[in-house]
Amino acid sequence: MSTAKNQKWVYLAAILLVGTGVGYLLISGLSQNSVYFLNVSEALAMPAEKLTQARLFGTVADNGIEHDPSSLGVSFFAQDSDDPNQTIRVHFRGAVPDTFKAGVEVILEGSFTADTRVFEATTMMTKCPSKYEKNDKGQMRPPGSVG
Amino acid sequence: MHAISFTALLLSMLAAVGLTATAGMKALKDDFDTVALLEKGQILLTVVVLAVSVVLVQALVVRDYSYVYVRDYTDNFLPMFYAVTAFWAGQNGSFLFWYLCVAVMGCCMIYTPGYSRLDDRTKVYFWIIFFLVEIFFLFALTGPSNPFMRLDPVPADGRGMNPLLQNPGMIFHPPLLFLGYAGYTIPCCLALASRLSGGGREWLDLCRNWNIVAWIFLTSGIILGAWWAYMELGWGGYWAWDPVENASLIPWLVGTAFIHTAIVGRTRGTLLRTNVLLASLTLLLCFFATFVVRSGLIDSVHAFGGSRMGVPLLVFMIAGVAFMLYVCLVQRKDDVTRIDDFTSRPGMLFLASWLFLCLGAIVFLGVLWPVISTLWSANPVGLDAGFYNRVCLPLFAVLALIMAVCPWFSQKSGISDKPAMGLVLGVGVGAAVVIYALGYTQPLALFSSASGFMMVASITLYFVRNKAARAFLPSWGAYGVHMGVALMVLGVAFSGPYKVEGEAVLTPGQTMNVGSYEILFTELTHDHANPAMNSHAALLTVTRDGKAVGNMAPEKRQYRNFEQSTFAEVSVIPSLGEEIYATLLGFDEQGTASLKISVNPLVNWIWIGGTLSCLIAFLCWRKIERR
Repeated sequence: MSTAKNQKWVYLAAILLVGTGVGYLLISGLSQNSVYFLNVSEALAMPAEKLTQARLFGTVADNGIEHDPSSLGVSFFAQDSDDPNQTIRVHFRGAVPDTFKAGVEVILEGSFTADTRVFEATTMMTKCPSKYEKNDKGQMRPPGSVG
Repeated sequence: MHAISFTALLLSMLAAVGLTATAGMKALKDDFDTVALLEKGQILLTVVVLAVSVVLVQALVVRDYSYVYVRDYTDNFLPMFYAVTAFWAGQNGSFLFWYLCVAVMGCCMIYTPGYSRLDDRTKVYFWIIFFLVEIFFLFALTGPSNPFMRLDPVPADGRGMNPLLQNPGMIFHPPLLFLGYAGYTIPCCLALASRLSGGGREWLDLCRNWNIVAWIFLTSGIILGAWWAYMELGWGGYWAWDPVENASLIPWLVGTAFIHTAIVGRTRGTLLRTNVLLASLTLLLCFFATFVVRSGLIDSVHAFGGSRMGVPLLVFMIAGVAFMLYVCLVQRKDDVTRIDDFTSRPGMLFLASWLFLCLGAIVFLGVLWPVISTLWSANPVGLDAGFYNRVCLPLFAVLALIMAVCPWFSQKSGISDKPAMGLVLGVGVGAAVVIYALGYTQPLALFSSASGFMMVASITLYFVRNKAARAFLPSWGAYGVHMGVALMVLGVAFSGPYKVEGEAVLTPGQTMNVGSYEILFTELTHDHANPAMNSHAALLTVTRDGKAVGNMAPEKRQYRNFEQSTFAEVSVIPSLGEEIYATLLGFDEQGTASLKISVNPLVNWIWIGGTLSCLIAFLCWRKIERR
């Protein structure tokens, strides 16, 4: 059995150890894995050089969808969900989600190329527009599912 | 039946409010003779919710589209099995299902031996808090989340169920989560009631079985969800750290911490307040999980509070937190938060609980980061999956190490069995050397997998050397759960960093290589015999060094009512070693197919370990004597 004084030290040491470990992990995670969450109009309002890493929320525009022949990628215009006049050209390389089509809401992760004004997306998730849970804004999402 | 069901729920709510008020007023005058009345009230509420649930299920079965809910989630072609499960496919139905589980569990509580040991004062407080939770559900079901809404005119067909939900994994995933959430209502109410009525640590014994059952349901729900993501979404991943996944993980982390602090509380008589706090926090976090899923907070902060359930849930949670803090911090202050020594078994349990709570706090922070960051940033800043992997995985690895060494610490201080501890550490070092030599050199994965092997060795050795443990069924349960966790640790440590993936566009007869496997695409087939869907499949033959490994047929399906979209149905060659996993991404008329193939080492050990943990945990159940 340890004495009361000893015990205090053990407590302090344990808190310090766990605290610094967790703190270090948290700070390194927060500094390296932070991404801006933006809708299209907000992204357009920001200087492109700040958008090295961002998650973009928008709707697939009706015009300008170009599938790569391999179907391993797609280029399209993402329009702002509230203001369809604001659009960003998106180029996505990878497996196009099953539910991707004009009019669906998409969540994209990637970066802005400043000179071409194209958003290079590395991941894309879609929300299905008609069969999912409805909320007041008219957005749909699958109940209890991902994306 | 629409109006009758709705009215029945409304009357239930009024009855619950009346009972709570009566019992509360009497309790203020130190009069606790309302127990029998409250119990009868609970039985009545349960009968009503059972009856209205039958009405809803019946409507789903006969596809009575005069219910908005039935129209929204079923159609004429939906198989019967899925029609019944549409009960919990949408928000309104899932709230009804959750409330049903809460009510039935409350009813069962009346007849448990544990309940019979409570004094009248605790019983009255228990029912008051329990009714308050039920009133919240009844408010939701008669207001913002009413499943009995009438549709006029009645359409001939419904909108159908989301094809992603038409999968056995998804069918059982939500009800298991809700059963878990519902199960945590009892420990929470019992903790608060016992604290309010001046009790000590006895409640921990009485709610132990409930706690275990709730944990089993929640755990199996989460694991099934991961399996569904792996098998149905076609991403090849089981955990994406998506806010919706994280939401159910937070109560699990806190609930798991509570299981461990409860052991310290029961055996050492310390951590009294901590246990009350964690028991109630777990339930509140279950509501938080629903809030994240239902409020629109998740994918964009701009939709904050979008659903009509967002605000009521938020108000309920804030009230809950205030009540919890009042009971734990203001109302009574006596407590002993003393651990004799960290190098003891209670010390290890305490440390593990800290880590679980840290993990819970980190995930909570991560989910809310887009909201929190608006305090200083004009645009919300969120965190990607890399954040969770970087911050959480090392903590899980440390937890694995603690689990491996914990059995060899004594109850008081120091190591009880030094040779065994030495052997276990030896196994860890040996495993690390072998794994490294085999080429698996990623540091964190190396540490975790070595800890996983240490856990397996440690638990096996513990049962070999400890006769008392062998003779005691609950210890088989407790260590069995950890054995399952060890297998999951190994599964994650290998399938995470060492997965190999390849994508290619192939014409029939062409091959692609992924890892050491060669995949031959033979032909594209088309099946339109099934009226509910239309599917194309790519037939693949897999070989390794010229030897046949197996065949795969990943499909692309078009479901009736969802013609504009196609849904991938993955195909796997199951293996306890390397599982090969194929998704058909797309195809064209010429018979060309785009394919994604991955090789997932040891991935099935996650499901094996998870199943073992959930099933064997039932052995932890202990009989409580009636009074």
